[in-house]
Amino acid sequence: MLAPMEIGVETLRRMAALGGFVWTDAELESIRPAVERLLEMLERLESVPIGDLEPTTQYRMF
Amino acid sequence: MRSAETNELCWLSMADLGRMIATKEVSPVEVVRAHLDRISALDARLRAFITVCADSALQSARASEADLMAGKVAGPLHGVPWAPKDLYSTKGVRTTGGSKILGDSVPAADATVVARLGAAGAIVLGKLNMHEFAYGPEGLNAHYGDARNPWDARAHRITGGSSSGSGAAVAAGLAPGSLGSDTGGSIRIPASLCGITGLKPTYGRVSRAGVLPLAWSMDHVGPMTRTARDCALMLNAIAGYDPADPTTSVLPVPDYTAALRGDVKGLRVGLLCAHFTDVATAEVRAAVEAAAEQLERAGAILDEVNLAGVLHVAAASSAIVASEALAYHAGWMRARPQDYQPDVRERLRMGAFVSGAHYVRAQQLRALVRSEIDEALAKRDVLLAPATPIPAPVLGERETTLGDGTSDVRAALIRLTRPFNYSGHPAAAAPCGFTAGGLPIGLQIVGRPFDEATVLRVVDAYQRLTDWHTRRPSAA
Repeated sequence: MLAPMEIGVETLRRMAALGGFVWTDAELESIRPAVERLLEMLERLESVPIGDLEPTTQYRMF
Repeated sequence: MRSAETNELCWLSMADLGRMIATKEVSPVEVVRAHLDRISALDARLRAFITVCADSALQSARASEADLMAGKVAGPLHGVPWAPKDLYSTKGVRTTGGSKILGDSVPAADATVVARLGAAGAIVLGKLNMHEFAYGPEGLNAHYGDARNPWDARAHRITGGSSSGSGAAVAAGLAPGSLGSDTGGSIRIPASLCGITGLKPTYGRVSRAGVLPLAWSMDHVGPMTRTARDCALMLNAIAGYDPADPTTSVLPVPDYTAALRGDVKGLRVGLLCAHFTDVATAEVRAAVEAAAEQLERAGAILDEVNLAGVLHVAAASSAIVASEALAYHAGWMRARPQDYQPDVRERLRMGAFVSGAHYVRAQQLRALVRSEIDEALAKRDVLLAPATPIPAPVLGERETTLGDGTSDVRAALIRLTRPFNYSGHPAAAAPCGFTAGGLPIGLQIVGRPFDEATVLRVVDAYQRLTDWHTRRPSAA
């Protein structure tokens, strides 16, 4: 099991800025727990054995 | 007609209304007027509609009647009213997406499916409420009010969402049918919580052209009605290739009503246990297991199935939806974030923290989960599960208890439906019982890709064996 992820507001601010979003400290602080939970879940996906499976989208044309 | 009789028109199925209109037992004008009267009487409390199109609906009904008298009948939906969720473009009628941002947006053309239903003779009553921009399974809306679940006259219970107005309107007899949209369960969740029948078709079966997106690779559009037959009628009208939506399939569209033979003899039915039925509340689990046994007694061959891969669906589909949703909303999120309702704004912000590598990983896992579901369906015709593990929560309820622990309400609502948005398989929800407190319980039926016919066949056969779908809510 991975250790709980901790992300500071400054890191969140920089990540958001990369997408062109400018959010206040209060706004970033309010979403910080949810971002930490999401990134923890996504980290766990790294341990799923998928070999060299190619990514797919829904676009399954018949 | 007397008032009580006209009110009864609002409880007829689309199939019955179409037949009675075609045989001139009732006029389209009477049918539309009866529904508009009912909307006037009840919608201030239910808040199912964002826009009511009374004048244009009556005008269309008069034109429909004139065609009928001239011997021109467009089909089984000729003169039958319906109402789309307010994210379908409607020519000349505002299409808000349940938002302030698009509060004055008036499309110049109909969405493909709206045009197809119009060509089939169906008449739009108005535009239905929804969670803002379809980004929430509760069905909440800070701009137009929260739709109210008609099954509880005392407490304000949520309808489920995001197609909240569709759930409330169809359940309360304000419209016999609707089109919802489903990115994580937004057709099946309100169908389950409001006691109606909803179908999320296979990805690519129905055009999304002219429908506001939430997450392009997870979005599906489909019918919400009171019976499987009405879902089949609407699907007949809307399904099929559309050059305006390159993700639609060129596969021919069958007559879905022809599949409704009323029997399930010899069909192989798998009951999804771990991660599905096992996590539901005791009442939901008992109702779903009873439905499975009822199908078995009717001749289906029943077994139990586990889908281990769905454990990854919550994380992977969150990465996909968060990324795709923010990509669509990025401009507004930079320019006018204050115009979103708070919960939607917060969810949209999550997309800024999902990396490209996360997104691609989620799409790799998608192939894995899809193949696992395909494998389960290679040996079976349909899979069964609860549509939602819980009945309708009271507005504002944050946490709920499931079979495997405490969960926040939002996660609980989408937990059992989202795997099939991720995989793209067709899935329906239909009522299979009621709690001791009188709230509907929804059964989910999942089929093979592009085999909506078998899904609807099972729902129809079940509805011939039971009367859950005929019950009327107390607040209506």
